[in-house]
Amino acid sequence: MLEKILPDKLSEILNNKINLKAVNEIRLRTDKPVLVSVGGKNFFVCENGLTSNIAQAIFANKLMIEDVIFRASECSIYSVNEQIKRGYIVTDEAVRIGIGGDLIEEDGKVKTISNFCCCNLRIPHTVKNCSLSAFSHIVNGSFVRSALIVSPPGCGKTTFLRDFVFQLSQRDISLNVLLLDERGELDFGINSLYTDKLSFFDKQKGFESGIRALSPDVIVTDEIGQEKDISALEYACGCGVKILASAHCDTLENFLKKPLFERLQKNKIFSRYVFLSKRNGPGTFEGVYDENLSRIYKAF
Amino acid sequence: MKFVLILTVFLLCVGIGVFYSSKFQKRKKFFDALISLADKLSLEINFSRERLKVLIESFDENHKKNLLKVCERYLDFLDKKSELTKEFLFEEAKVLRNDEKDLVFMFFKALGRRDVENQTKELQGFVSRFSEVKTKCDAEQKKYGALSIKLGVVAGLFWAVIMF
Repeated sequence: MLEKILPDKLSEILNNKINLKAVNEIRLRTDKPVLVSVGGKNFFVCENGLTSNIAQAIFANKLMIEDVIFRASECSIYSVNEQIKRGYIVTDEAVRIGIGGDLIEEDGKVKTISNFCCCNLRIPHTVKNCSLSAFSHIVNGSFVRSALIVSPPGCGKTTFLRDFVFQLSQRDISLNVLLLDERGELDFGINSLYTDKLSFFDKQKGFESGIRALSPDVIVTDEIGQEKDISALEYACGCGVKILASAHCDTLENFLKKPLFERLQKNKIFSRYVFLSKRNGPGTFEGVYDENLSRIYKAF
Repeated sequence: MKFVLILTVFLLCVGIGVFYSSKFQKRKKFFDALISLADKLSLEINFSRERLKVLIESFDENHKKNLLKVCERYLDFLDKKSELTKEFLFEEAKVLRNDEKDLVFMFFKALGRRDVENQTKELQGFVSRFSEVKTKCDAEQKKYGALSIKLGVVAGLFWAVIMF
């Protein structure tokens, strides 16, 4: 998965000396040690695998970072510039590479990011049955409730959504599911008979054309957080489509402080709120709340 | 036997002349093909934004032949089978001069590294620089290409007369 993107030396270490299945993130920063996140903890990469000793660490450099981004774009930066403008590239294998560098603007519009100085490779995982704890709270027979999966970054929201779609297909619940995959990373390892996909659509266009053209029963989408996303959700809700989405937030208290989410809750867009955390590693199931944000299930 | 030997020496001299002349021809064809490649890339990157590998693979086979395996070697680099070095890229393009190799190497090194607008501008810049080199190659081919053949024939005749 990573051998096409990473420099040979790093790829060899990661493939032979580290269990890649346990790696969540790889961070490269100019003239800083290569950092790997395993089970929520950070380690440096050294010749023998992982280390906490910075003296043994392998350092990344600007050329290495530029090369990773070049390779991730299949050697064609121009073909993924729309993604780069948003700060990331997603490879065919759903590895999301967050990019840091200089923003180039012209007439108030973002043209591109250049002078790359850091990148963060997020490696997708299929964690089978990770959505099961919340599944029965969202699905009742063949009825699906709209649900929002809430957690800080890197806590397994996307993995949860993927597994949820997989679980629906496993149970032969013949609801037409539309994956509205804004960044091209949601559809990884999902093999469902009832799933359609819209990739790289923004939420507004995706919801509109998806509902019109594909008439889904459920729309699954990742990371809502902007005003226009909420409007798109309201539109879909008004059309009678159930929605499964994810959003960034750490606690219920902070969730309620955000005006956008307050609007969601007020309009009862979602019937269930599922909170995840990193407490016992990414994907720790914290609890489920109903449309009034009353707790109906507490994991701990 | 003597006539066969004379004929062989004559043909050998003419052959050497043709060989030197073909070097100029190859350089001219190389830059001709390179201009076509840069034009195609510029157009396709603007129009379809297709990946570099697909664009180079679909480049006209006749032009590819004239590029003296440079395309194949660049595709190896894209497939991560090798590093992009001058030695590797021009292993079979010995007819190019060092400054020409530098220019062509810069071209291949710059491919796929920019957004559409900047990549297109860069490609257009390379097209005009390649055109200048091609004009030079054209003039050299006319001047020295023909001269090599003529010198080959003269040398062949010279040796033929001496041997006769």
